[in-house]
Amino acid sequence: MTRKRFVTLSLVPAIGLLATLALVSVAGAVWFSLMNRTLRSADYDFVGAYNFLRLLRDRRFMNALEISALWEIITVLGTLALAVLLAVMIFETVKKPLWRNLLCFAFLVPVLLPRVAAAFIWRFLYSPSLGVINYLCGLVGIGPVEFLADPSLALISVAVVDIWQWGLFFTVILLKLLETLPRDPIEAALLDRARTWEIHAYVTLPMLKGPLISLALVKAVESLRSFDLIFVMTGGGPGTATETLDLYAYQMGINMGGRISYASAMSILLLIVTTVAFTIIWKAGKKWAS
Amino acid sequence: MGKLISAIGVRVLLAVLIVVALGPILWTVLGAFKELRDIVTPVPKLVFEPTLDNFATILRNPTIRDGLLHSAIVVSVSVLIGALLGIPAAHVLARHARRYGDDVQFFVLSLRFMPPVAIAIPFIVIYLDLGIYDTLFGLILVYLITTISTVIWLAVPAFERVPQNIEEAAAMEGCGPAEIFWRFSLPVAAPSLFGALVFTFVLVWNELLLALTLAAQNATLPVVAASITSLGKEVPWGVINAATVVLVLPPLVFIGLLMGLLNTMVRSGPK
Repeated sequence: MTRKRFVTLSLVPAIGLLATLALVSVAGAVWFSLMNRTLRSADYDFVGAYNFLRLLRDRRFMNALEISALWEIITVLGTLALAVLLAVMIFETVKKPLWRNLLCFAFLVPVLLPRVAAAFIWRFLYSPSLGVINYLCGLVGIGPVEFLADPSLALISVAVVDIWQWGLFFTVILLKLLETLPRDPIEAALLDRARTWEIHAYVTLPMLKGPLISLALVKAVESLRSFDLIFVMTGGGPGTATETLDLYAYQMGINMGGRISYASAMSILLLIVTTVAFTIIWKAGKKWAS
Repeated sequence: MGKLISAIGVRVLLAVLIVVALGPILWTVLGAFKELRDIVTPVPKLVFEPTLDNFATILRNPTIRDGLLHSAIVVSVSVLIGALLGIPAAHVLARHARRYGDDVQFFVLSLRFMPPVAIAIPFIVIYLDLGIYDTLFGLILVYLITTISTVIWLAVPAFERVPQNIEEAAAMEGCGPAEIFWRFSLPVAAPSLFGALVFTFVLVWNELLLALTLAAQNATLPVVAASITSLGKEVPWGVINAATVVLVLPPLVFIGLLMGLLNTMVRSGPK
């Protein structure tokens, strides 16, 4: 077999299939978003930009946009903050490799859980009548807290689960990265009598700037896929307090009468916003890291 | 004295961290073996008479059994096809097609940026029109986006780490590109590739949104689990816990592998 034929034979099926599926879904979404198609009836007409114009006046859509932005900010910052804090703390206090490995194993477990499972586990813990967390709250005299039914608490309560899964996972990655850093700059800082937190704030963490940016980007992409977690824990409620864009698009497209065209318009907007945002962040991150 | 206190402090901290990481899961496992009256207590019970009723309920329930079967078929077929198509492509991207390798890699990565709803909504209509809505074939087809792109994404670095002189020596001996790939690169990269496949497996096993929208009767285990909040009047917490345990087990088997994958990725230099 010639080289050229080998290259074609191995590349074309995989990339061709991927490109076809991606093209079909994007083209399909654009096409449907210009129609007024629903799952109920087979008839549909071309309506132009009508769906998009209606979205701009849709209060619930604006609310979903806001919730999605909030969700992104809370989970990305929360995950990174927890990971940095824990990684530095473990790096400084736990010196025995055995203990470190044990901790790493324990910290990897949550991220491997299916989102649906994590959601059930925490719904059980959060439960006002039989949850362990509310039992502990009761011991210190705080009456049953409706973690998932209180509109002001629900989003944070769900975000805690996301941060529990990803923050601990990123802690392991950061810890391993800290271990690979050269010792010289740290020892130089020690000779200058820098305090421990100063060493990390001014020496080690700046050295890990590149990986930290990559991790933030990975988490930002991953946070967009939190449908499973929110769907099982609150279903977008109470009211629309935890309804992110993908939940609203799902409710519109499938649950509430199957307004496919309207939901398609929404997913097109979501696609554009994320693509533009990530391209900008990607480029800026690369510039900043180098 | 100060040293002793700080040593104890470290131990306490360690214990707290491990409890935070594993406690919720262990609590659910305990709950899976409890009868409902041991769950619905004002004070959480640690000591109780364990029962296998919850697991029996699950395994006797045809919906859940079907979900498990569907999950097994859909996940294994889509990961297998993803590997068959993705691994050779990744090898070519890493070795033979450097020129457009970057563009292809960006395309593959951009598929992971794509919001799942943007795939799900148009595919419902297309599947309904084609008559493959609510079929395992349809689910496998849509999961191929995830499996092929993830396999390529993780396998390219694995092939880049294969020492080039091995392949060059084989080429000198007159081996063709396919033979080099099959006999030399693939065995050397195999451990990392296995890790990549496991990661892909976990992603698809855990997926909910696409299965929820594109299937109804033929749904996978996460969809079935998500829908059992109300079997009968009371919330069957014991059964939910047992279903959660069943859902959690397959990914957890691979934790050691994930650790190894992390170690090689960190050692090969942060991106």
